[in-house]
Amino acid sequence: MSLQTPKELDEIQFGLMDPETYRDLSVTKVITADTYDDDGFPIDMGLMDTRLGVIDPGLECPTCGQHSGSCPGHFGHIELAAPVIHVGFTKLMRRLLRGTCRECSRLLLTEDEKAEFRDRLSEARRLGRDPQDVLKAAIRQARKKDRCPHCGEIQYDIEHEKPTTYYEVQQVLTSEYSQRIAGAMQGNEEEGIDRTTPDELAEKTDIELTRINEILSGSFRPRESQRKAIEKALDIDLTEEDTNKLMPSDIRDWFEAIPDGDIEVLGIDSERSRPEWMILTVLPVPPVTTRPSITLDNGQRSEDDLTHKLVDIIRINQRFMENREAGAPQLIIEDLWELLQYHVTTFMDNEISGTPPARHRSGRPLKTLSQRLKGKEGRFRGSLSGKRVNFSARTVISPDPTLSLNEVGVPDRVATEMTQTMLVTERNIEQAKQYVANGPNAHPGANYVRRPDGRRLKVTEKNCKALAGMSEEAELDEAQTIGPGWEVNRHLIDGDIVIFNRQPSLHRMSIMAHEVVVMPYKTFRLNTVVCPPYNADFDGDEMNMHALQNEEARAEARVLMRVQEQILSPRFGQNIIGAIQDHISGTYLLTKDNPRFNETQALDLLRATRIDELPEPSGIDDEDKPFWTGRDVFSELLPDDMNLEFTGTIGDDVIIEDGQLVEGTIAEDEVGEFGGEIVDAITKQYGNTRSRVFINELSTLAMRAIMHFGFSIGIDDETIPAEAEARIDETIDDAYDRVAELIEAYERGELESLPGRTIDETLEMKIMQTLSRARDNAGNIAEEHFTEDNPAVVMANSGARGSMLNLTQMAGCVGQQAVRGERINRGYEDRTLSHYEPNDLSAGAHGFVESSYTVGLGPREFFFHAMGGREGLVDTAVRTSKSGYLQRRLINALSELETQYDGTVRDTSDTIVQFEFGEDGTSPVQVAYDQDHDVDVEGIASKVLDEEFDSPEEREEFLSGKTVETNLSEHAASRRVASEEVTSDD
Amino acid sequence: MVDVSQHELVPEHTVLEEDILEDVLDEYDIDRTDLPKIKRTDKALPDEAEVGDVIKIVRNSRTTDQAVVYRLVVE
Repeated sequence: MSLQTPKELDEIQFGLMDPETYRDLSVTKVITADTYDDDGFPIDMGLMDTRLGVIDPGLECPTCGQHSGSCPGHFGHIELAAPVIHVGFTKLMRRLLRGTCRECSRLLLTEDEKAEFRDRLSEARRLGRDPQDVLKAAIRQARKKDRCPHCGEIQYDIEHEKPTTYYEVQQVLTSEYSQRIAGAMQGNEEEGIDRTTPDELAEKTDIELTRINEILSGSFRPRESQRKAIEKALDIDLTEEDTNKLMPSDIRDWFEAIPDGDIEVLGIDSERSRPEWMILTVLPVPPVTTRPSITLDNGQRSEDDLTHKLVDIIRINQRFMENREAGAPQLIIEDLWELLQYHVTTFMDNEISGTPPARHRSGRPLKTLSQRLKGKEGRFRGSLSGKRVNFSARTVISPDPTLSLNEVGVPDRVATEMTQTMLVTERNIEQAKQYVANGPNAHPGANYVRRPDGRRLKVTEKNCKALAGMSEEAELDEAQTIGPGWEVNRHLIDGDIVIFNRQPSLHRMSIMAHEVVVMPYKTFRLNTVVCPPYNADFDGDEMNMHALQNEEARAEARVLMRVQEQILSPRFGQNIIGAIQDHISGTYLLTKDNPRFNETQALDLLRATRIDELPEPSGIDDEDKPFWTGRDVFSELLPDDMNLEFTGTIGDDVIIEDGQLVEGTIAEDEVGEFGGEIVDAITKQYGNTRSRVFINELSTLAMRAIMHFGFSIGIDDETIPAEAEARIDETIDDAYDRVAELIEAYERGELESLPGRTIDETLEMKIMQTLSRARDNAGNIAEEHFTEDNPAVVMANSGARGSMLNLTQMAGCVGQQAVRGERINRGYEDRTLSHYEPNDLSAGAHGFVESSYTVGLGPREFFFHAMGGREGLVDTAVRTSKSGYLQRRLINALSELETQYDGTVRDTSDTIVQFEFGEDGTSPVQVAYDQDHDVDVEGIASKVLDEEFDSPEEREEFLSGKTVETNLSEHAASRRVASEEVTSDD
Repeated sequence: MVDVSQHELVPEHTVLEEDILEDVLDEYDIDRTDLPKIKRTDKALPDEAEVGDVIKIVRNSRTTDQAVVYRLVVE
């Protein structure tokens, strides 16, 4: 390992590179396209020349003398036979060509204009704006000039044919000028243009008649002024575009003549970036280390894509030189030049639009320079911002309600692979020895040990006993036994802290720290209450786990990232962790009608909690047996001194007095995942730890409760009596009649349009209204037949899952299907399906489903229903990809903002974004989430003081503000005096 | 023409006195170019505001009653 100190970067300069620098940098000129000779040795001055760096182990680099692995590689160069354009700068080149004079190469701006743009440039730099905008404005200004303000030369348009061809467009006299003039003189009777005689033309244009005749016969080419006069007189265009291709060498000459002062106006540093350097005369050859060749199993060598591309370039380069020396015709030279340009272009970027990508023999497009850097898998996003890590595991997740929400079940095979470093001291040596003695395969074992001298030894089945000093050989060889100063990489054990994550990591609760519980089988186990923050379910979701590798990280994870620290969400300041689904049904059943339980039942409900003694019975029943009510059982979980009052999920008042639920039903708004009032209050008043205990106990109590009552759902729960079905049919028939009436009125033209609507829209709206009312009525009829204890109703009312709408769709009527918020209007011409008459406006023909899900949908209904369902699916698919990209952009834009110690939010250049974080400088999780839910700061403070101080005197002393300086040294007073004489002990 | 600066949703913009500005810049330890920017053409600006001036904006806030923001007039 090299002990070189890393270089410190002060700044990074971007610019163009001088061809001379390329040559200075180069260790060799590359002239042969061949890579290896017949013996398999790199050819000198070939693409694999050893001076470019070594990749084969054992060889020594002739340039730097290092071996493969430490030799960084060295650049070579190719002398290009003809200059070639660099694709990366085509836009800037186009701008410069358009903004400078074709003759004298000076910027087409007057001195005043130059001064103005110079000022704007320094202004932009000062304010941190984009200097590129100033350049664009300057070029726009320069292009307006027809003539060069310096030499007076006429300027022509520059056309850019992507990617690398530039043309100069000139207006010249067409070769058919005589025919065009003659034609125009004929006149046009239809358009009322009279004939023009040569005499008249001569008069109009002030040209002699003989000249006119010569022009008409084609024997004299009119001069420019004459051409314009004729064009004006006859209202015709005598010009045609003449395009003149600019070769790279022409452009290079052009750019070379641009004065330094002129490009500085455009914000280009002439010292570092001369524009002619955008045209390559030398091509750098990347070191071998950037394009290593691989040896296949059969001994054949396979070269990197970049090497393939370089081979192409050298071949064409040589052919070009040979042809030019042989004096080949201009046409062939130009073809070869273009080919060279193509190869150099694709060497740098192989995904240029308008150019076919260079391909491998197999047909796969080559991965050239730009492709290595760009995109998700590119060097920046793929290799630098994101990396693969050790000590991580990924597997399927499954639920385990017996775990605490802070815990995660880790499969034993993961636990034996992930390790934690343990520093062996005199105090833990016995444990350390035990881990090592267990070996790498038994569970709390060890995989590696590290001797005090830094050598790492693998613990194997064979040497584990010896390393632990538990075998006979060990006594012979003292040095090979672990002792203080060694490090042991022991397996994960219960209580270790790990980081757990589910993608997409959209908020900070997507990555939380858990405590390990080692378990059999292959899945990660987690408590169901942590599903909402991770947005996880168990239909095959996988999650990642990371074992932390140093004490600092472990401490930080435990203090900041543990699940219980994340109960309150910074998004809305309320709890994001709470009871879900069956937990809510369970507490609802437990507290709704305040059922009674005998001693055994009550104890069973609380068996998984800390409570092992029941409180005083709630009462004595008729048979003289004590009973406990559901609310009293629930109250056992609440903090003893808790007081809370609010309106609950089902609209009743929930009252908690002194830790007793006096009144109210516990359901979603009380203990649910997003803003459950009680969970929120406990977290804010009693802390995260108490809240964790509460949620854990709540979920187990709820599960016991729902198991006590039994909870299942079947098709009979959504079936209504025949009599009710008849009534529903009746209401729907009724609605059909009313729709028919509306249509009739519409056809008679008697329908009055609503304000701001057409008649058609009015009809649509009224039909929709009628049908939705019919659906609601059907739902109401169905609802009448559901009792409060219907499981689907329980779920809907408690907020556990589903809604009454879902229920009425199952029992009553599914209702109108919609695509884009309208009745279904697509399909065939004038009708939705061929089953209907054209222009049928009735309910059924436009996607009204009168059946219920239990009865089943008719074929046409089913089809319409599928149409509506498809829209929903497409919507979610589009929304996730759209919002994902939006998220990425937002993160990139905000990632470098930071709240400073003075409370301001600033970016990396110290520009202020907010003068006070969030305008109030507070964290959303530390404050009340709205005005009606003040955090009882006084109450919390006095409670803490009560616990802390036994006597009122002590408390008074603390509050009176006499602070004792605890963290100062005993010698603080003497230390403050700098000049005091030091009294030495010896 | 509507004077937007009189609209109830447009907070009060005032030009900051030079000596008070010094205190503000000192407080945050910044140059004036580190402040957020506002365009001279912004209709909410008082008429006397010129490029280089710093504007004090006092706006109603959902989290605090009043939030103060300073902005540099540019261009």
